[in-house]
Amino acid sequence: MFLAWREIKYSKTRFVLIIGVVVLIAYLVYFLTGLAYGLAQENRMSIDKWDADGIVLADESNLNINMSMFDKEQMEEIEASEKASVGVAPSVVQLENQTSEESKVNITFFGVDKEEFIFPEVIEGEEFNKDKEAIANISLKEEEGFEIGDEVSLAGADLTVEIVGFTDNAKFSVGPVLYINQPTYQQVRASGFGEREEEIISAIVVRSDAEELGDVNIGSDDLELYSISEFISNLPGYTAQVLTFGLMIGFLVLIAAMIIGIFIYVLTLQKSSILGVMKAQGISSAYISRSVIGQTFLLSVMGVFTGLGLTLLTGLLLPAAVPHQYNFIFLLSITALLITVAVAGAFLSVRTVVNIDPLEAID
Amino acid sequence: MKLIELKEVNKTFQDGRKTIEALKPTNFSVEGGEFVAIIGPSGSGKSTFLTIIGGLQSPTEGEVLIKDQKFSNLDEKERAKKRFNEIGFILQASNLIPFLTVKDQLKLVNKIKKTKLDEQRVENLLSELGINKLMNKYPSDLSGGEKQRAAIARAMYHNPSVILADEPTASLDTDRAFEVVKILARETKKQNKATIMVTHDERLTEQCDAVYVMKDGVLKNKQEE
Repeated sequence: MFLAWREIKYSKTRFVLIIGVVVLIAYLVYFLTGLAYGLAQENRMSIDKWDADGIVLADESNLNINMSMFDKEQMEEIEASEKASVGVAPSVVQLENQTSEESKVNITFFGVDKEEFIFPEVIEGEEFNKDKEAIANISLKEEEGFEIGDEVSLAGADLTVEIVGFTDNAKFSVGPVLYINQPTYQQVRASGFGEREEEIISAIVVRSDAEELGDVNIGSDDLELYSISEFISNLPGYTAQVLTFGLMIGFLVLIAAMIIGIFIYVLTLQKSSILGVMKAQGISSAYISRSVIGQTFLLSVMGVFTGLGLTLLTGLLLPAAVPHQYNFIFLLSITALLITVAVAGAFLSVRTVVNIDPLEAID
Repeated sequence: MKLIELKEVNKTFQDGRKTIEALKPTNFSVEGGEFVAIIGPSGSGKSTFLTIIGGLQSPTEGEVLIKDQKFSNLDEKERAKKRFNEIGFILQASNLIPFLTVKDQLKLVNKIKKTKLDEQRVENLLSELGINKLMNKYPSDLSGGEKQRAAIARAMYHNPSVILADEPTASLDTDRAFEVVKILARETKKQNKATIMVTHDERLTEQCDAVYVMKDGVLKNKQEE
């Protein structure tokens, strides 16, 4: 580290430029990770909020909850340690006194039963007690200015609901969720289709005490049981999105390793006459190599942590509408990964150091 | 005591089908406090000779001993270790590391040996060479003469037995060159080193105890010529 640090201090401009490149790459990697994670979270947040193990959908629905629909009475046939029914309906809402296009918001209605375990915890206001009352995700307050007591009308239907409370972490398909009771859900779902006699729901969410949902029995051919992880990975676009981001992040990390590796390699080549003199003096290749690797470590640590700082700063400044979120474990593993691959890139130069012939220092 | 000794050392190279004898079988030794010059035209084998003494290449036959101990027959790693401890190099364009201050050049030795910097010794050595005020300067801030004096300090600092100087005055004007050689001679005596200086400038050999001439791979004492 002695040589490594002295050299960085001596050739400040050169190393600041290298660190700058590392900062930019790290920044991009962190930022993309934040976005990818944020977006993934906004797809699945409301499902994670259920804290459930399995979900029962209509057999015909092809794992698409929006297409799943069956009679609530079928719930009685299902055996599980805990179960809850949910009706899901995507919709467009608008504050009642507003008419502009911009004030329309895409949301998803979750029809839930107050007694069942998926009923959300209210962080502001109160729970709904009667029909046509709703608990909304807090983002509707932060981004759209919804307030408790506001009347919200549904697009294309003669129906309004009143916001009585807010909950958090309730997003589905990157949009906010409005929780309503199941009788209201029936009206939402029926709007445009006419009344139905039976009570319709989209899915039954179950908790299980056994491994692989072994203790859950659905008792019907029309229904199918899936694990929550399978359900999440089949959310429309979810897996494609996660894979795309994952690939981009993976490549960026690889590119970071190569760029740092090449920089250090070129620096080592430039220094080869000095290194030759050092080897002639009897300084071992191991010492010089350690110094090269130590230097890379210093550079990558400085670059990566500056990038991390910038990312967190950007996170504070970014509007809430941009889906970004940072997870401590992700940040930690990306940091470790970036530094590790950078140091691995420096091993490219070790061979050069070993191959430098001290004889050339004399001739 | 013979600090360095060459026994029947020769070096041959293969150039295509021809065998070139860069150094004919040579016996040679230098004692503590002895300052020896080797002169000769370029291509005469001076550098080959010096690099064999310095253990940078192995002789084809014969062996080099440092303080009566094996040197040239050691494997490369051991040889590098011994070189680090027993030999101080002073090279033409100075062997200073550009990104270290004069003091740090010396401190590097401590770092590698994992010992503490001996401030007193640094101070003494640098004042002896008249560059103690330049302790915190980088090589690029020093003049040619100052650089070579710093290089001498670096070569002496770890207290080696043998000092090898390869054209140490090549980049200096005559006055500076004489001054550097004088310092080298003085320190050789004072610190009881065996110093071997390769040069093409015969005028610089006045300070030396013995002068050898290298010609076509044959080393001869100048007085015998």
